[in-house]
Amino acid sequence: MKIILNGEEILINNNISLLDLLELKNISQKNIAIEKNRKIITKNSWRKEKLNENDIIEVITAVGGG
Amino acid sequence: MIDKDLFLNNKSYISRLIIGSGKYKNFDETKKALEISGAEMITVAIKRTNIGQSYNDKNLLDYIDPLKYKILPNTAGCFNSEEAIRVSLLAKELLNDNLIKLEVLQDKETLLPNEDETLMAARELVNLGFSIMVYTTDNVSLASDLEKIGCIAIMPLASPIGTGQGIINPNNLKKIIHNSSVPVIVDAGIGTASDATIAMELGCDGVLLNSAIAMAEDPINMAEAMKHAVIAGRKAFIAKRMKTSKIARASTNKKNSIS
Repeated sequence: MKIILNGEEILINNNISLLDLLELKNISQKNIAIEKNRKIITKNSWRKEKLNENDIIEVITAVGGG
Repeated sequence: MIDKDLFLNNKSYISRLIIGSGKYKNFDETKKALEISGAEMITVAIKRTNIGQSYNDKNLLDYIDPLKYKILPNTAGCFNSEEAIRVSLLAKELLNDNLIKLEVLQDKETLLPNEDETLMAARELVNLGFSIMVYTTDNVSLASDLEKIGCIAIMPLASPIGTGQGIINPNNLKKIIHNSSVPVIVDAGIGTASDATIAMELGCDGVLLNSAIAMAEDPINMAEAMKHAVIAGRKAFIAKRMKTSKIARASTNKKNSIS
């Protein structure tokens, strides 16, 4: 199925969780926050939060800024 | 007279310098500049993580000890209140803190604050329980409105972001300082050490800068210069400068002169 991850369309298998997605895309769980369809998903829910077709996922972190 | 510490969001700070973490050559340079500047608070931006990077690549947060430094996330890159609120909520989730530097800009060209959207975002964020340090123009009445809403620090620009032009309108800055009962921290436009000193001599409670250090030819030396500049300006403000005079006045007493 298709989802949008940080603005880019990607294809993933059905029935995967946010945590699976992080592992699949090699994203460290440290120092990130996640939004699914504009709603923040707290870290303790990443395992149970399943992804659906056309979900929009944003994985954010802190970068340099003034 | 003994000076008070800067007090922000239930925490006191000895240093009145806040530095940004952008535009450094690498994280090591950011860390060194932070250490030598004496700053106890550092701003960060909230952006998408780089999906392509290696699992073991370092993150900026790996270089800032949260026990030693207060991390101040900003809403840089937001042009309306909705975006700024969204980024603030993400920052709160990421850093587990309600402190935010609210920055809502007018356009990409001038990078000047959008006054209406800043006000709207500030109202909503106060309702959501955020402690807001707000980036604003040097508009005196807007600064007063932002304080009334409940912002914990008013942060007027010295001059536009990244220009290094120093303080363009010291009179407005003085009025904002005079009217404000929350800390006033000059944010943006500082170019060199003397600009920071002047801001502090005017009575600002602190200075926030990024490019002035990061874009100096030698950022580490400039970070140290800024530390001293802010201390010098603050001490001069506390000491209350001499009155200026239109006529020369000798420093030596005339009494007992040989001629």
